[in-house]
Amino acid sequence: MRKSSLIREVSESARTEGVTPLPVEDDGTPLIRGELRKIMIKTEKLIKSYGKGDLELQVLKNLSIEIKKGEFVAIIGPSGAGKSTLLYQISLLDMPTSGVVYINGKNMSALPEKEKTHFRLRELGYVFQDYALLPELTAIENVALPILMQGMSKKDALKQAEEALARLSLTDKKHNLPSELSGGQQQRVSIARAIAHKPHILFADEPTANLDSVSAEPVMEAFADLHREGQTIIMVTHETEYANKAGRVISLKDGLIISDKKQIAGK
Amino acid sequence: MKKAVQIRKELQNALRVGWFLAVRSLRRSSKWTTTLIIFIMILTFLNLVVVSGLLLGLISGSFVAFRESYSGEVIVTSAAQRSYIENSQNLITFLEHHPEVKDTSIRYGTNAQILGTLTDLPGKNERANQIGIRLIGLDPVAEERMTRFSRFTLHGETLQAGEEGYLLIGANMIKKYSAFADANIPGLDLLTDIDIGDRVRVSITSTEGTIKKDFILKGIVKSKVDEISTRAFITDKELRRLLPVNKNEVQEIAIRTRESYAPILVKEIKDFMGSYAARVQTSGEAIPSFLRQVETTMGMLGNALSSFALIVASITIFIVVFINAVTKRKFIGIMKGIGVSPLAIECSYIFQALFYGIVGSVVGLFLTFVVLKPFFDAHPINFPFSDGILVATPESAALRVVILLVVTFAAGYIPAKIIVRRNTLDAILGR
Repeated sequence: MRKSSLIREVSESARTEGVTPLPVEDDGTPLIRGELRKIMIKTEKLIKSYGKGDLELQVLKNLSIEIKKGEFVAIIGPSGAGKSTLLYQISLLDMPTSGVVYINGKNMSALPEKEKTHFRLRELGYVFQDYALLPELTAIENVALPILMQGMSKKDALKQAEEALARLSLTDKKHNLPSELSGGQQQRVSIARAIAHKPHILFADEPTANLDSVSAEPVMEAFADLHREGQTIIMVTHETEYANKAGRVISLKDGLIISDKKQIAGK
Repeated sequence: MKKAVQIRKELQNALRVGWFLAVRSLRRSSKWTTTLIIFIMILTFLNLVVVSGLLLGLISGSFVAFRESYSGEVIVTSAAQRSYIENSQNLITFLEHHPEVKDTSIRYGTNAQILGTLTDLPGKNERANQIGIRLIGLDPVAEERMTRFSRFTLHGETLQAGEEGYLLIGANMIKKYSAFADANIPGLDLLTDIDIGDRVRVSITSTEGTIKKDFILKGIVKSKVDEISTRAFITDKELRRLLPVNKNEVQEIAIRTRESYAPILVKEIKDFMGSYAARVQTSGEAIPSFLRQVETTMGMLGNALSSFALIVASITIFIVVFINAVTKRKFIGIMKGIGVSPLAIECSYIFQALFYGIVGSVVGLFLTFVVLKPFFDAHPINFPFSDGILVATPESAALRVVILLVVTFAAGYIPAKIIVRRNTLDAILGR
């Protein structure tokens, strides 16, 4: 694929909002500094099984995929297809039974647990289905936690967390405990936490599953905005409507990829 | 070197984030739960300090009573095989001029017989209503200064300076008042049918013959110190007049000085008098050895009970932290998932456990030293052989605080470690 063929005009929304236009590919993925995107995640013959012997259940069957920097990938499929399991393997929350996961060309399967934790802290962001906010921390404290863990001072961490919350229009809720927020607000806090430390890859596991359509809309808008800014996003969903917001849709069934399509993001 | 710096940095960060999490967890946890846990910690601390302190206090109370009621900080008595303190008048002069000696009580003493019934002769097979007793001559004014002797008066009145013909008898030597009256102890004779105002006859036998004099029983004295309750007392001047020889030789000198100075004073007196002129002891040395053994036994019992208390405390904290960690297993998984290091999570639980331990100890210390100790000092527990007090020193309490915190640390760390080491994804998904 030639570089020149990938570049097209910026989206209308970016133009109307006065955002600095970025060159984008035909799937809507922005081209950072106009360079050809490099492969960020690669899996080779990924297998994940549960149980042993006759009871062994293979959830992922020899999956090999590549995800490039800046892509917004939606993984869809029916229940039991293995989409969440795939997300857990490539997000380093779980260990595959066999096969290898590379992130930025580095074999992550070989990393010890301590280094994986450190890698997750520096490079990855997570949005969980049930928000996964710590109930004893306020919104801003939840967002600041990974930044604090990175070694930043409390003052700077809270400032950075406040900026992340502001991006998601939650400044007025920053001192609220999760129990004092609606589901949609909690999920946006969760997104703020996932992006506050500026991760290279953002993983989202069914981020709208617990939300009604009204609450889900701003959440998906937040993902779309992040994608426009060049954030690599990998999202598991079972809702086609939200999968269409992504630039690439990988469909799984019974642990196998049945389709892998690029599309114009937001269509 | 680089690795050491990195480890130090990781540790500092873990402590910082652990503190951040612990403070918020404690601040926003249930007040009732926190209060209950702290209450348990206070009880544990009191169990460590007060129970063993009271056990030791049973016997220490008798040591204090011995010092306050009889011996002073230093007591000089006749040497073995001697009937009086050699050159006692020189010693008295030495003590009068010693800057560290606050007070003295000089006591004269002899063995005597007291006949309780003067009018009726005993029957053919009856024994006379008579006992052998140690008769002490004391200066009522000096003794009052030294031991507040009048407080021992159970019935009647105490002796006054210069008065003659009056006698005090220890309660344990009169059947009506004796604690041993019901015990059939062979060889132990008690006076019967006498009371305040009765006339008794004192006989002092020596190589010069037997001297007899009648006294009016002026008072009954009682104390948990045998040296009060088993003796008879008259004024020193009267006793010296009765004694046929060695009228000026003293049998006991109780000396009040600083407790910490007592061993030094003992050495000074020994240097002054020579080793064989008298027995010079600190109050602690003069206490009978069986009481020392009882003290050791009480100490062991106290330590055993403290050990049980520690085990209970550590299990309590373990359970509290474990349940706390188990119920937050999902959130622990999430924290690990988003990159919070296991060490930071463990630190947060350790800080929480230490918070309970420190608050429990501080409140326990307050209760011990501001409430319980002053209370027991003012209102000792009335045991038959002593006035039980609460023995608690800042040093021993500090040691127990350290022990409690070490146990708390371990009891906080271990369950947190158990939960934190579990699979991250399983924790997040609640599997």
